[in-house]
Amino acid sequence: MVDSVSFGIPALDKAIMDGIPKGYTVLCIGMPGAGVELFAKRFASAGAKNENVTYFSTSERDDDVLNTMKDFGWSTDMKIVNIGTMYYEKVLARHLDVSKYRHEGLSMMDIRQFKSRKSEEPEEFTTNFLTTLTYEVSKLSPPFRIVLDSLNFFLEYYPHDEVLSALRTIKAHTQHNEGVALVTLVKGVLDSRTESGIEEIVDAIIELERQRDGYEFKRNLLIRKVRNHPEKTGILAYTIDDKGISAKGV
Amino acid sequence: MAEEGVSADSEVLERDRCPTGIEGLDNILNGGIPRGNTILFTGSCGTGKTTLSLEYLVHGALAGENCLFVSVTEASEKLMKNVIPYDFFDESLIKKGKLVFVDMPIIYERLGMTEMELSMEDVEALVRALGNLVDELSIKRLVIDSVTSVCYRLKTEEKIRNFILKVGKALSDRGCTSLLISEISPSAERYSLYGVEEAIADGIVLMGNLERRGDLLRTLQVVKMRGTNHSRAKYVLDLTPAGILLVPLLKGGSTGGN
Repeated sequence: MVDSVSFGIPALDKAIMDGIPKGYTVLCIGMPGAGVELFAKRFASAGAKNENVTYFSTSERDDDVLNTMKDFGWSTDMKIVNIGTMYYEKVLARHLDVSKYRHEGLSMMDIRQFKSRKSEEPEEFTTNFLTTLTYEVSKLSPPFRIVLDSLNFFLEYYPHDEVLSALRTIKAHTQHNEGVALVTLVKGVLDSRTESGIEEIVDAIIELERQRDGYEFKRNLLIRKVRNHPEKTGILAYTIDDKGISAKGV
Repeated sequence: MAEEGVSADSEVLERDRCPTGIEGLDNILNGGIPRGNTILFTGSCGTGKTTLSLEYLVHGALAGENCLFVSVTEASEKLMKNVIPYDFFDESLIKKGKLVFVDMPIIYERLGMTEMELSMEDVEALVRALGNLVDELSIKRLVIDSVTSVCYRLKTEEKIRNFILKVGKALSDRGCTSLLISEISPSAERYSLYGVEEAIADGIVLMGNLERRGDLLRTLQVVKMRGTNHSRAKYVLDLTPAGILLVPLLKGGSTGGN
């Protein structure tokens, strides 16, 4: 009997192995608008009761993540590591400063401020966010559940082989400690080599697909890969309403 | 205007002078550096370039002019300690903002110049930033120590030329008399590492070491100075707590000078 934990979507749990087997790293992939981010939040909340959940956000503020979960009545008992906010504070805000100094000019105050700030935060400008990610993951002790939304952020700023290597590290840590991990990816923006590389590393792939059908969208959840269980692959229909995500067999 | 030390026999139309405060050098220059000039102070290490430029600023600050030292290679806090041993140095000059030290790496960082090689656009931004500081602080004397370190990041002759021309113009337009410190190897046969700086500067002062009777003497020679007559003879430079002393280097009875 495989020891599994819930996705938070009963029909999906049933379709795989009563949930996601411990030690698995799952990829959730989809086009924008398919509900990948919401799927990630549902997955994170589902572990809040019994597992140490860490949610790595790259494009939303902490409040956006938590409020969305609250709106659906999901548990928010988790740690949020906001890589997006860190990136804004340490890199983007600095770019804004640079363009300000270049256009409006530099004053002695700007120079003196730097001096006092530098002594407080000596490592400020040397952060590698990929290292931050793997470091945070390495600190987790079981039972844990990791959500990384999304991998695209790292693929945009770091060499793809380094991102794949970080993903392997996350997977290995998850596997050896019998945690679970979910990473999200926007479909169709990567070269096929990188996408295949990611698909090869993960243990399961769930693709959310949205198709237009007359005047409405038809949503399909494709279970594209379950390691060593090709018989578990299949297609479910899913709907998103104010209660969240629900799925059923088609 | 401070005009002391102007040679009476000078026949050129005299420009307003910026006295360096170093008596020997002001005599060589007939009263000082023509105001607004950008001068290359060039020499190998240990020849006294930084010391001389600091003394130039301290004298300016004591005379009521606002002075800026832009340190490229060394932390300015460390440099500040070097000026304290002077008898004539008054620490309140720094507190009152008459003598200001700025580290170039902070300017680089503020302007987002993280790449080792600077672009033409970076050159423009750098010159503009220096102009901003000169305007804000009403700087009349400026030192960049060293311009060679800035040039090292510019790489191409075109960018170096552009930088020296633009920085010279920006400072001159603001009535600022500037010393650009240039580092060369002792055996170099030119006055600047890249060869471009010397062609563009308004003046060149060569500083060197000379071995004589087992002693290593520091020497100074004004090679070029637009806007004034000057001696082209070599002088011996002595660093003392009372400041820099210059005496003619006697060789074969010739003292040079005018």
